[in-house]
Amino acid sequence: MKIKVGLGTCGISAGGRAVYSALEEEIAGHNLDVALQVTGCMGMCYDEVLVELVDKDESHLYGRVSPEMAREIINSHVINGKPVPEWIVKGKVVEETDTFFDKQDRIVLRNCGIINPESIEDYIAVGGYEGIRKATQNYTPEEVIEMVLQSGLRGRGGGGFPTGLKWRFARQAQNDKKYIICNADEGDPGAFMDRSVLEGDPHSVLEGMMIAGYAIGSDEGYIYARAEYPLAIQRLKDAISQCEERDLLGAKLFGTDFSFKIRIKQGAGAFVCGEETALIASIEGKRGVPRIRPPFPANKGLWDKPTNINNVETFANVAWIILNGPEAYASRGTEKSKGTKVFALAGKIKKSGLAEVPMGMTINEVVFDVGGGIKDDRKFKAVQMGGPSGGCIPASMGDIKIDFDEINKTGAIMGSGGMIVLDETTCMVDIAKFFLTFTQNESCGKCTFCRIGTKRMLEILERITMGDGKEGDLDLLEDLAHKIKAASLCGLGQTAPNPVLTTLKYFREEYEAHIRDKKCPAHNCVALLTYRILEDNCTGCTLCARKCPVDAISGTVKQPHVIDQAACIKCGQCYDVCRFNAVEKL
Amino acid sequence: MKPIEITINGKLIQATPDKTILEVVREQNLDDIPTLCHDERIEPFGSCFLCVVEVEGLNKLVPSCATKVTNGMVIHTDNDRIKSSRKTALELLLSNHYADCIGPCVDSCPAHVDAQGYIALISMGKYEEALALIKEQNPLPESIGRVCVRNCEDSCRRQCVEESVAINFLKRFVADVDAEHHWTPQPKAANGKRIAVIGGGPSGLTCSYYLTMEGYAVTIFEKLPELGGMLRYGIPEYRLPKKILDDEIKWITDLGVTIQTGVEMGKDFTVKSLMSDGYDSVYLSVGAQSASTMRLEHEDDTEGVIKGVDFLRDIQQGDLPELSGTVAIVGGGNTAIDAARTALRCKADKVAIVYRRSVNEMPANDEEIKAAGEEGIQFEFLTLPTRIIREDNRLKAIECIRMELHEAKPGDRPRPVPIEGSEFTMPVDFLIGAIGQNVDTSFVKGSEGCELEKWGTIKVDEGTMATSMPGVFAGGDAVTGPLTAIMSIAQGHTAANSIAQYLKEGKAEAPDFKFYSFKHRFDEIPEGEFECIAKDPREKMPELPADERTSTFDEVDLGFSEEQSLHETERCLECGCSEYYDCALRKYADQFEVNIEEFIGEVKRYDVDKAHPFFVLDPNKCINCGKCVRTCSEMLEISALSFVYRGFKAVVKPAMERTLPETNCVSCGNCIDVCPTGAIAENFQHKVLGILKKENYDSICHFCSQGCAINFKVIDENIFHVANSEDSVINSHNQGYLCLKGRFGHRYLSSEDRLTSPLIRENRTHRKASWDEAMETAVAKIKETISAHGPESVAVFGSPNLSNEELYLLQKFARVGLKTNNIHSLTNMLYGIDQDCLDDSIGMTTSTASMDEIGKADVIVVMNATGSEENLITELKIKKAQKRGAKFVLFSSSEIKLTRFADLWIDNKKGTSTVIMNGLAREFLKMPATDRQAIEERTSGLSKLEEMVAPFTRSNVATTTGTSVSSYEELLSLLMDPDKKVVFVYNLDSWREKAKNDLQSVVNFLVLTGRLQGEGNGLVLMREYANSSGVADMGVSPNHLPGQVRVDETEEISRIGKLWNSSLPMFKDSNLKEGMKFGKIKAALIFGEDPLALVENRKYFDHLGFVLVSDSFHTHSTAEADVVLPAATYMEQEGTYTTCDRRVQLVNRISDPKNSYENWQIISALAGFFSENFDYDSAEDVRKEIENVSRLGLCSGGIPNLEDVQPGFSIYQTQLGTMNPEKPTIIFSEEFFRSRVRNRLRK
Repeated sequence: MKIKVGLGTCGISAGGRAVYSALEEEIAGHNLDVALQVTGCMGMCYDEVLVELVDKDESHLYGRVSPEMAREIINSHVINGKPVPEWIVKGKVVEETDTFFDKQDRIVLRNCGIINPESIEDYIAVGGYEGIRKATQNYTPEEVIEMVLQSGLRGRGGGGFPTGLKWRFARQAQNDKKYIICNADEGDPGAFMDRSVLEGDPHSVLEGMMIAGYAIGSDEGYIYARAEYPLAIQRLKDAISQCEERDLLGAKLFGTDFSFKIRIKQGAGAFVCGEETALIASIEGKRGVPRIRPPFPANKGLWDKPTNINNVETFANVAWIILNGPEAYASRGTEKSKGTKVFALAGKIKKSGLAEVPMGMTINEVVFDVGGGIKDDRKFKAVQMGGPSGGCIPASMGDIKIDFDEINKTGAIMGSGGMIVLDETTCMVDIAKFFLTFTQNESCGKCTFCRIGTKRMLEILERITMGDGKEGDLDLLEDLAHKIKAASLCGLGQTAPNPVLTTLKYFREEYEAHIRDKKCPAHNCVALLTYRILEDNCTGCTLCARKCPVDAISGTVKQPHVIDQAACIKCGQCYDVCRFNAVEKL
Repeated sequence: MKPIEITINGKLIQATPDKTILEVVREQNLDDIPTLCHDERIEPFGSCFLCVVEVEGLNKLVPSCATKVTNGMVIHTDNDRIKSSRKTALELLLSNHYADCIGPCVDSCPAHVDAQGYIALISMGKYEEALALIKEQNPLPESIGRVCVRNCEDSCRRQCVEESVAINFLKRFVADVDAEHHWTPQPKAANGKRIAVIGGGPSGLTCSYYLTMEGYAVTIFEKLPELGGMLRYGIPEYRLPKKILDDEIKWITDLGVTIQTGVEMGKDFTVKSLMSDGYDSVYLSVGAQSASTMRLEHEDDTEGVIKGVDFLRDIQQGDLPELSGTVAIVGGGNTAIDAARTALRCKADKVAIVYRRSVNEMPANDEEIKAAGEEGIQFEFLTLPTRIIREDNRLKAIECIRMELHEAKPGDRPRPVPIEGSEFTMPVDFLIGAIGQNVDTSFVKGSEGCELEKWGTIKVDEGTMATSMPGVFAGGDAVTGPLTAIMSIAQGHTAANSIAQYLKEGKAEAPDFKFYSFKHRFDEIPEGEFECIAKDPREKMPELPADERTSTFDEVDLGFSEEQSLHETERCLECGCSEYYDCALRKYADQFEVNIEEFIGEVKRYDVDKAHPFFVLDPNKCINCGKCVRTCSEMLEISALSFVYRGFKAVVKPAMERTLPETNCVSCGNCIDVCPTGAIAENFQHKVLGILKKENYDSICHFCSQGCAINFKVIDENIFHVANSEDSVINSHNQGYLCLKGRFGHRYLSSEDRLTSPLIRENRTHRKASWDEAMETAVAKIKETISAHGPESVAVFGSPNLSNEELYLLQKFARVGLKTNNIHSLTNMLYGIDQDCLDDSIGMTTSTASMDEIGKADVIVVMNATGSEENLITELKIKKAQKRGAKFVLFSSSEIKLTRFADLWIDNKKGTSTVIMNGLAREFLKMPATDRQAIEERTSGLSKLEEMVAPFTRSNVATTTGTSVSSYEELLSLLMDPDKKVVFVYNLDSWREKAKNDLQSVVNFLVLTGRLQGEGNGLVLMREYANSSGVADMGVSPNHLPGQVRVDETEEISRIGKLWNSSLPMFKDSNLKEGMKFGKIKAALIFGEDPLALVENRKYFDHLGFVLVSDSFHTHSTAEADVVLPAATYMEQEGTYTTCDRRVQLVNRISDPKNSYENWQIISALAGFFSENFDYDSAEDVRKEIENVSRLGLCSGGIPNLEDVQPGFSIYQTQLGTMNPEKPTIIFSEEFFRSRVRNRLRK
């Protein structure tokens, strides 16, 4: 029997290490013949800590496991052969098994949560490094590029540029030195696809980079990873040394002339360093500021040498494509968006976690069939896709297909895979403000429009949410937004206004309510809220008056209470504590 | 490259593919695209987004500075979308630009008098200039300096520290200093046009003054007996003595204004009658003199009730009433105070001011209110007279009611409301109503057809002061209602400009839109901002003692003393930006008519950093264009400045947020020039001069031999600073870049330690003497010496800092005048600078390559030079070449700044460079590919050389020089490749690494390898002084005549002798140094050198019987001289200088010589006592003679065409600022060297 414990960042933060120790102790204490193993994030972050018992072909997945539960599982399930059905989230013994994986199609995440990411043997055992071996021994670099082109793989970092084409440009650039860079500077709020891949299957990324290196004629790769991902960096470092020990990295690999080495460069967490040219500047030790393109990195990149940059998820696809053939990949997805896409589901969704679905699935399917629907069964309002560069797609457009071009049409973007689900309690002005605050702070400060324009937009949004919005503010917002998009150097500035523009497009009346009626329809903007006690419901229990931090509620016992609006600071405590639904939020 | 076709604004254009859109548009002059972050000298950055253009097919706008043109591109550079985007970009930048363009004082003054400017001028003691500056906007400063309402002081930032600067008193101070009106401008010649000015008050006088200055014939028509308007008839004598007003009016009218008094509009003439009388334009400035009513019954028919304005006017007209008992004045303005204080002086027993609001709301000046209180005037605040109580027709008392103040709408004064039942009676003997005045404009209504406002004032266009009648303009109180003198002056000036424009162009237009950034526009200025400024209270105006005042009409304010004024100027915070005229942001803000209101939000505030003696860093003004950061890192490779923070907080500061002196800043100040705003500015020696205009003078730096183009920005001869100019960025060899010396070194020229008068030594001290006396004394001494010891006992010395003209005249003076060959430069002589060392091998000791060749070389070798410290600009050229791929080899025995940048650092032992060069020669000759025959054909002495270098084997070289074998191998690999172009840079004047033969060995190597000249090849001899090269060319050497003629060149010598009408003295090397040391030389004439700055040189002076020194400043040598002749500085005279790479550059005279004469005049005058051959009219005259005499020429007519260049010989010269880097630079062709002295390889 084998027991796997999900020890990605999500598992660890849910207490996975203690669970692992408890299992370890129990197994040792009972001298059991059980292989205890670490694995990466399985994607079901909502049910961490996850413990999977695999016995022959049978698997039982326990969710939300505590150390105590772990001991009980050993005693009951392993020693006495009695599974504990009430803790099992997926497995034959339970009737209501989790359907999270049913509609998923895992290519990038093929090994995540299955193998031990710290063991190269595990990776090799599932066919690891066969892709690069096959590429170097069976194909010319041009053939490899052709395969990637045929697979239809498009850059998963957000831009969606055909990967094969990018490789071809880099291949064609004449130089004795070329670089491969893996962009692991995942920075969108709420996005953790790349982290999970790096933590759960680091070798697949290394292999993808090696194949790219072989294809473009590069012998050196950099992984630019944010320092905020210590576990991912540690697993990458280990993976690189394991490869070096086994001559999977180094000179003259697989009996060919192909040589490749990989270094890790830690970024200091500047969002803009996810932009190719800023990332290159950062590796070079300069301030992470984008520069004008052309020249494109494929011609003049790191240290002025031709450079190919792809993100983690893109690289994680590559070995699979070589091994399974481009046709297998291209058979998935829509006409122009092939393969699968990993999404980090977050926000007001029941199953927040990591899901990989084939392109072409609708948003509704992702939200409801994979993600289990909206938390507390509230009303689905919108999804925010693509992070701060993306936008909001309203629930009414939930039937739209996951496809680069279809999503672009809505004003949002596919992005790197962040999908934040919003419900009726989310204020769309506030959500726009949230993302704009992020981009404003993360702007490198180089371009006028991005540096000051986003600041002024943010100030307008702030005054709208404070109830100080003026007629004309929306026109001013739109005018500024279009100018910022038109006149910024890099993607950060060019897309920074998207959250505002898409919310204005689909939820303009919400903005207008803030400005004209001084009301926040989602009851979210504190300055525009009024709390009132409904006389009919109030029992005069005095709880609210006692909880009010500013003594703004008065009333005698068993008599309806009243809120002094002038004194009220709108903290909402009365609303939260009232047991009779007598406090109304307006 | 094959040209491509693009379309710009509908026009089909041919362009080169690697150009950016901006480059193409600028080259072909298609549009003036604005940009703030672009600098053609560094890589495109694309951050300001001002230069955006639209490319068809692209959704976004692209920065034209960074977007390359491609075939078929269709570009629009100027449509509405682009304009709107550019405007918004500017508005956004300005919305985070916490800075003042001009002082709030200047802005708040209706006449925009440059207060900051005149305060700065006063602080420098430049009173006349200050007065002239004031009179550019206000011709009545003596009067206004006494009566102004001082909006300037109300807005003065100094109030954030303690009190405002006493701006108006300072104005009065300079005006009073010139009370005799010594400063008088010259009006332009009469242009035949006539203007009628109706009303001789401040507005009419102002309009008359400015029109008269423009050459118009002005007649003032005045109803009252005298001019002055309310200044005369409204302001009491004790505030503005009428003698002063009279003088000031006379000063204006004396410029040629005709006056008619006692004539009244509407009675004696009309606008139409004036027009038909031939006046071309009319200015109506009739004022507002009828008093407003108090709305009391019997106000007009009660004895003892007087109108305030009438009261003041009558007194002025000599009608001094006797007041007695109690006088009540109603009102709260300055007229009320004036009437009250006047009443007191008319013997009233008690004077009370009755005002319906409180003291806080009084419109009168605080100082006036205070003075009234001091004089004993009482105040009845919150009181309103409601009824006149009279006996018969005589006033007895007034009934009043108390008021209380009620809040009014924001911005308005509180509203007074009567308190019911609070009525009381106040017994008074006189009641003076001073609650305001009305305009009487009945005369222009109706038949005249001049439109009025509904309250009776004349309707005008505010921008031009034009009325509804063509050619008729109006201003002053008649337009504004009773307001202020300074507003009347402002309108009079505007009207004068409009009238002039109307008469010239047929219509008047409002001045162009102007945008000014102000700190107070964003929010209240934070209290802490001025905390660092020490409190320094405002000077108090000296006054007549209060008890003396009331018995007389003598002026109360006595005026600031000079000491008080100078102290007060120190209090000015200099708010207005020093870069007012050079700020690109301001320029574009005006052009795009920006409006930042919509974008006012958070603004970043920073402390101004003055930690560096030469720089002021004001990040508040930074717009993040990064030009400074990029120049510092890309061009200089220093990176003293950097961006800090991200997002809205991003800003440029010294690296790591240190202070500038803590970084590796070399103080070159190139960041100042590239900064498009005032974020990096020069820390001047003087105050920031507001919006005072600067003249630009292109010139040449004279701190070293590179001859960089510089630009003097001159306010006057002692107020200037040095920067680059737009032209020099494009046209100078230094591309506008300067070093520390070039930018800040010229400050010495305004030093007070300047010699202006000749000095004669008497009894161990110097006394001032006239030029004649000094000359005669010197001549007598020299003649005495010659007759006693012969001409060989006199020696003449010239500095390598002197111009070619001066140097030429000095040697001619010695040879033709004094008949001696004792001519030298002490600098060369005493420090053993060998000017002849290459004569025998290549014919003359000179650069064989221009500095431009550095840019074309594959390998640049620097020997005996340090770059950074001495010649930053050469260093920049090397760094630039490196970026292109050139390799830089540095010979230096120790680590210097430059070693960090060297691709190969040869750290050989000091003095062993010769060994390496000989080793290189050996290796070269040993190479199989070396064509010995070819070398022999163009050289002599090859076998001897070969023999000499034979022992310099690789191992010997390594052991002798201490250079590692690998370094030497690398050097060989760089220099042995015959396809590589090599430039050697060597400082002839430096002793840092010098050994006797190393320069010779360098030349041997260059000659051997055929790299002595030609594109990207040759030798650049750096020199220490501006005209070190000229010293040799002009023959300031015992071994050379002008044109580098040497002892054995008899034909040339006799040719020159003929030209000079002189048999030349024996041409021999007389060893002057020995001669001085051992007493053979009895008299020394030293021009521009200071040998005695070093004590060790004293020994050469011990035997001298007579020393003449000519210099611009006191030096150690002038202190010892028998006669001192003050010299002009290079800023004060014209002359040419020859750079180290033989460009001859003309330096123009910027200011007049403070010592009265240019130096060529002094030398030729002195020489004239000895010979008749020194008759010149100008420096140009001298230059023409040099052209004739020197075979090297000294072209005075621009760059010769290449076809015109004599075969085998060319030397070219650049006129100031016109050097064209595109044109090939020819120093000498190889044929030249061969024709002179066959290239000799010297052992």
